[in-house]
Amino acid sequence: MASLNTFGAILTYAIELEMQIRDYYQTINNSERANAADKRRGKLERVRRENVLEITLEPIEGLDESNYRLNFDDTSEAGQNVIETIAARFYEDVAPSINVRQAQRALERCGKEHAKIVIS
Amino acid sequence: MTRKLKNYIGGEWVEASAEAVIPVENPATCEIMADCPDSTADDVNQAVEAAVAGFEEWRRTPVLSRAQYMHHFKNLVEDNFEKISQVMVMESGKTIDEARGEVRRAIESIDYAMSVPVLMRSDGLEDISSGIDETTIRQPAGVFVAITPFNFPFMVPLWFLPTAITCGNTFILKPSPQTPLSTELLFEMLDEIDLPEGVVNLVNGGIASSEALMKHPDVTGVSFVGSSHVAKIIYETCTAQGKRVQAQGGAKNYIAVMPDADMESSVKNILGAAYGCAGQRCLAAAVAVGVGEAYGKLKDELVKQAKTLQVGYGLEETTQMGTVISGAAKERIEKMIQQGVDDGASIVLDGRGKVVDGYENGSFVGPTILADVKTDMVVAREEIFGPVLSLMKADSFEEAVGIINNSHYGNAASIFTSSGKYAREFKYNVNAGNVGVNIGVAAPSASFPFGGQKDSFFGDLHGQGMDSIEFYTERKIVIERWI
Repeated sequence: MASLNTFGAILTYAIELEMQIRDYYQTINNSERANAADKRRGKLERVRRENVLEITLEPIEGLDESNYRLNFDDTSEAGQNVIETIAARFYEDVAPSINVRQAQRALERCGKEHAKIVIS
Repeated sequence: MTRKLKNYIGGEWVEASAEAVIPVENPATCEIMADCPDSTADDVNQAVEAAVAGFEEWRRTPVLSRAQYMHHFKNLVEDNFEKISQVMVMESGKTIDEARGEVRRAIESIDYAMSVPVLMRSDGLEDISSGIDETTIRQPAGVFVAITPFNFPFMVPLWFLPTAITCGNTFILKPSPQTPLSTELLFEMLDEIDLPEGVVNLVNGGIASSEALMKHPDVTGVSFVGSSHVAKIIYETCTAQGKRVQAQGGAKNYIAVMPDADMESSVKNILGAAYGCAGQRCLAAAVAVGVGEAYGKLKDELVKQAKTLQVGYGLEETTQMGTVISGAAKERIEKMIQQGVDDGASIVLDGRGKVVDGYENGSFVGPTILADVKTDMVVAREEIFGPVLSLMKADSFEEAVGIINNSHYGNAASIFTSSGKYAREFKYNVNAGNVGVNIGVAAPSASFPFGGQKDSFFGDLHGQGMDSIEFYTERKIVIERWI
């Protein structure tokens, strides 16, 4: 069953994802990345609030949160890269399914930010 | 013990004089969340007295200051966005996304009211005769009332309240007794912005309070949204008393699907239109007319997609369709489905008897599709107000428009097509107040009037847009000579 099947389900999952990433970086004392994750969380909450358009709410298919589970036990650099890679992939996958361009753009940007961390 | 709701009159929360209450039930969990007082004429009289008393001071408050209250109000709604959405899910059964969408639309109406300082401006002309100038001014008209429905308990009151009060009027809201909890939140926020006493008032209740409001001599105008039967009564009662009235009634909204439409994406949007808010909206798609070869494809694609819709409790993010408003509504809807079958329609997707794990007593009706529906069947003519989509076949575009125009309702109509010619002809010829082209729910944004024709609207000036400025103001023509 696809669990990311509505606008709200996707945005809420993204918000929770960023909260987990923020907490993860806080525990390993990387405040820069923790703050960046918290900033994305705030932005995503605003996106969920401002871009839910009743007349274009449509079912979303083919996306499941089980494909984007993160392992927060691994605090090594490699572990951090895996988390960032999965987060980037999550945003890349879900953005096209959102039919409000402003929301889509915000998700794409979150994805790019995660991808940038992997590259750096 | 169940909490009994209060009225908000003259800037204070007050007990209603009524002993009788109407239980407010969560339609998914069946929990009684509160008791709504069935306010009486005495309660209404108090509210009107407060509104009349507040009017003089409020109309003299500069319009820019009145608009400033709306800025504060909007900020509070944004701050409480999730809380309001969740309460609405609990009282109305809609999904959390639908509730969020509703709050967003409500905020649009507050935004619109912030433009009142511009929209209330009028015009003038010098020297209409030698040394004589003539100007028009708009003034607030008095005490206005809105009687609002259960299906959009937060948005519909805000179609009216922000514009009415920013124009300088005072206001009384009588919400649906089935969904008074989000309105309670609304008034908690209005209380927080410190409007002068009597500017906004809330009277909870049912028919007795509505009748008293309509007949009160100090009420200038009434806005109503609900069924056509009641809208007509309200229109006749109010006009007989010389009041302004805008009464939005029910609907039977048709969607024409042309053979050139992109079927997969069209159906996706039609699903939202038919089953959003479990079909309980005056803009819901009720009948899809497949033209020519579109009919078979439309039917197959609709069934394929509709049967995958996840029905459940609206607070769960993955729920794609929630409950209908009550057990009584479920029973009525299921009876109408049976009536369609008895009249000869084929049921290609049957949502009757839907049970959701964990909410076994909830008022769920699954997505339902009736095919081979004919124009003389009850399901083609009358509003079901539930998640039931009827399918009809037309041999040509002209026949489809004819079917749509034969309806005694005229709230909305949509066409799905890739042809500019058909889209243009549809817009031009269809008798409906809100027209969609490749949009299933043709819901006007706050700066446009909410259309509606035939038995879907009784009155002259619609809610929202410039019509609302006209409705909430009195125009005065001033002719001056000083030389």
